[in-house]
Amino acid sequence: MDRTAWVLNETELRAWLQDLIAGERTVVAPVAEDGVVVYRPLAAAGQAVLEPRGKARWSPKEFLFPRTEALYSYSFKGDAVAITDPPRPERPQVLFGVRSCDAAGLARLDEIFLSGRTDPLYAARREATTVVTAGCAAADPECFCTAVGGSPVGEEAADLQLVPLDGGWLLRVLSGKGEALVGEAAAGWSAPPAESGERVAALEREVAAQIGRNPVPQEWAKVLEGGFASPSWDRLAAHCLGCSICAYVCPSCSCFDMNHEANAWCGEQCRSWDACTFVPFTLHASGHNPRATRGGRYRQRVLHKFAFTAEGEAHFRCVGCGRCVALCPAGLDISQIVTAAAAAIQEEGADAAR
Amino acid sequence: MSDLQTSAVRHAGAAAVPDGWQPQIVALVCNWCTYTGADMAGTTRLEYPATVRMVRFPCTGRMSPLMILRAFEQGADGVLVSGCHPGDCHYVQGNLVARRRFTIFRSLMDFLGIDLRRLHFAWVSAAEGHKWARVVKDVSAAVTAAGPLPRPPAADGWEGPALPAAEGDGPEEISAADAEALRDHLRRTAAELLESGRAGVVIGHRRGSLPGRLVPVMAATAAECRELEWGEGALNNLVTYAATALQRAEKAALVVKACELHALTGLIREGQVARERLLLVGLQCPGVRPEGALAAKCLGCSGAPHPACDLLLTPAGVSEGGSGAAAPAADTDDARDRQIAAIESLPAGERWLYWQRQFARCLRCYACRAVCPLCYCSTCVADKHRPQWVPTTIDARGNGVWNVVRAMHLAGRCTGCDECARVCPADIRLDLINRKLALEVERHFGAAGLEPGEKAALVDFRMEDPEEFIL
Ligand code: SF4
Ligand code: SF4
Ligand code: SF4
Ligand code: SF4
Repeated sequence: MDRTAWVLNETELRAWLQDLIAGERTVVAPVAEDGVVVYRPLAAAGQAVLEPRGKARWSPKEFLFPRTEALYSYSFKGDAVAITDPPRPERPQVLFGVRSCDAAGLARLDEIFLSGRTDPLYAARREATTVVTAGCAAADPECFCTAVGGSPVGEEAADLQLVPLDGGWLLRVLSGKGEALVGEAAAGWSAPPAESGERVAALEREVAAQIGRNPVPQEWAKVLEGGFASPSWDRLAAHCLGCSICAYVCPSCSCFDMNHEANAWCGEQCRSWDACTFVPFTLHASGHNPRATRGGRYRQRVLHKFAFTAEGEAHFRCVGCGRCVALCPAGLDISQIVTAAAAAIQEEGADAAR
Repeated sequence: MSDLQTSAVRHAGAAAVPDGWQPQIVALVCNWCTYTGADMAGTTRLEYPATVRMVRFPCTGRMSPLMILRAFEQGADGVLVSGCHPGDCHYVQGNLVARRRFTIFRSLMDFLGIDLRRLHFAWVSAAEGHKWARVVKDVSAAVTAAGPLPRPPAADGWEGPALPAAEGDGPEEISAADAEALRDHLRRTAAELLESGRAGVVIGHRRGSLPGRLVPVMAATAAECRELEWGEGALNNLVTYAATALQRAEKAALVVKACELHALTGLIREGQVARERLLLVGLQCPGVRPEGALAAKCLGCSGAPHPACDLLLTPAGVSEGGSGAAAPAADTDDARDRQIAAIESLPAGERWLYWQRQFARCLRCYACRAVCPLCYCSTCVADKHRPQWVPTTIDARGNGVWNVVRAMHLAGRCTGCDECARVCPADIRLDLINRKLALEVERHFGAAGLEPGEKAALVDFRMEDPEEFIL
């Protein structure tokens, strides 16, 4: 694609953001709420937290895959039952200032919800969404995007990309949707410095060097899957407490549960987030639970991030945002556990061969 | 047919109070007294407003705050709970236990900013048809004055109240040399415990993958003992791991801070762990720093190891403890109390906004439950679905119910370790809610009964418990 780019200072960026908010789109950006930075629809450009580094507490996936949504609602009147579809979510939205890892997470969700049988609600939201990413000028201690094939200035799933440069922002068009979002606004913006491409590459190297974790080799997908029965899972997950912080803050976790929320007269069939680390997640009606142990449940999480892939996919589902590492109450670190599990499994294999 | 609507429908409704609007009040009544009393009012042809829908229970003791919350969640404008007078309970003491529970629940709802005109309790006997009519009249008038239950407010962009900073002195600093000595004592002691067979596993802390952060470890080998660490990053309350460790070994040694010992007392009192299977290793504590700053619970703490521990580790050395001395009164002048007071000074509407916005962030990750040493139910009420009391929806329907129910289940049992608030990814001030409830329990029922032989305040009762709020 023909790449167009500009440099914007803080004032120009906020002015553009304000114009976007005034338009017919919902603009979602990181906002500080009671001291915690979360993605929220903006009422004013000033609310947005646009920093050269740092992440929102959790990913923006809820704007495509809501925590809870009604798939249909129903009501009874006498013997008659009325069933209503939810309105098609068509309102255009902009996800503004999302980090590259979060955008990559959206690409992972696309693989789940748009391949095979397309999820109509997700598809409608995705269609109406434009993604403006914000690259990182520094990595936080938990970040490891580069270890899983990502980049602090990655372009996956981005329609437009902001890159922090000299206290301002380089804005690059990466898709037709992005181009349309900029539209006429670019009239007053300045052209980027000639060497901006080189500068972005330098930034990428600089941030990558701050990330102290080794790349996870793609071959480990097979190793880990082959080690499904390894006793190491129980050991590695011994301290997991079985909450779901990891899944709910994760940009690429996509599991859900279905439940009726109803009274005697009307109700909704709701789809709500759920997580493989919860005991009831796989609990059968009979009372049998095929994932009866902590180790078995945590193994599912690791394998779904690093091993199980659809045919033709050659990347991990973990995008290395490090949120689960930073927020795990017991301090479990998925990147360390993957390394330890692969090592243990390879060792067991070698022992067996001897 | 009832005209109760789902909250979803109601919340989409008009904001203005429509002409001729009448409140919908759900009355939870006991079968033996109030239900019969209401029947008597009917057969006596007494007149009272048709605003109340009754739900019959065997006993007020069977009524849980959950049921009140669900009534509100389903769109009720007010709730009335009514049963036998104290001393008249068909099951002897059901209403006396309920009275304590509702006393605390009412305080909690007030703290969260619910208009108390919507929530009422009454004793109405089988013979008191007239009283029932009067109570319904009074309650209807109060709920009518409060108006329709407001839809969840949008607090977007609201700055929120400025809470005073939690200030105070923490424990004395431990010098680098002393810290090293302490760590060496810890590692050596742990190895000796394993070797001598006094413990099959040592629950302690080791270095994590993030700078400054220590993580829990159940050490079972000498090599693992050599990795034990101690310091400001030792955030986890390891009492949470006691039951897991005891599945692996007959005896477990547990590294505890003074502030965590109460949680263990709670577990012993509730029959969850046997004291004799645990060996408590108390260490001189430098205070913990979850996000750089000293945790609020550490302000005002000396950091000295608790004398009731079996082994006491200070930089000076290792000594045998095990004096039965009661825990130091940690409940005086808590730094969190000033923040609680600041919230209480807000108008009810603002308190409601303050808490509703926090509950709206709740992801229902249940990490608060997972880290809590006292949340040990094998199946949490939030995971039960026959019937399903807590909506699974991660929105206003489910979140408020979840957060309030958990707080109530910990009321009188929570020991203020603040683990739930530390791990909450949504930064919900669970610490303030728990602390507020602890204060209320103490105010109404005296010291919170945290000794091994005592009963937790909310499963206990006295005939003369206060009840000014009951009609
Ligand atoms: S698994 Fe953890 S590090 Fe990987 S994308 Fe999910 S939250 Fe981020
Ligand atoms: S409150 Fe607990 S963590 Fe804080 S200094 Fe005291 S013993 Fe240590
Ligand atoms: S830890 Fe926080 S976000 Fe998670 S369920 Fe508890 S209150 Fe909700
Ligand atoms: S409710 Fe929170 S503060 Fe209380 S004991 Fe449980 S984790 Fe600790």
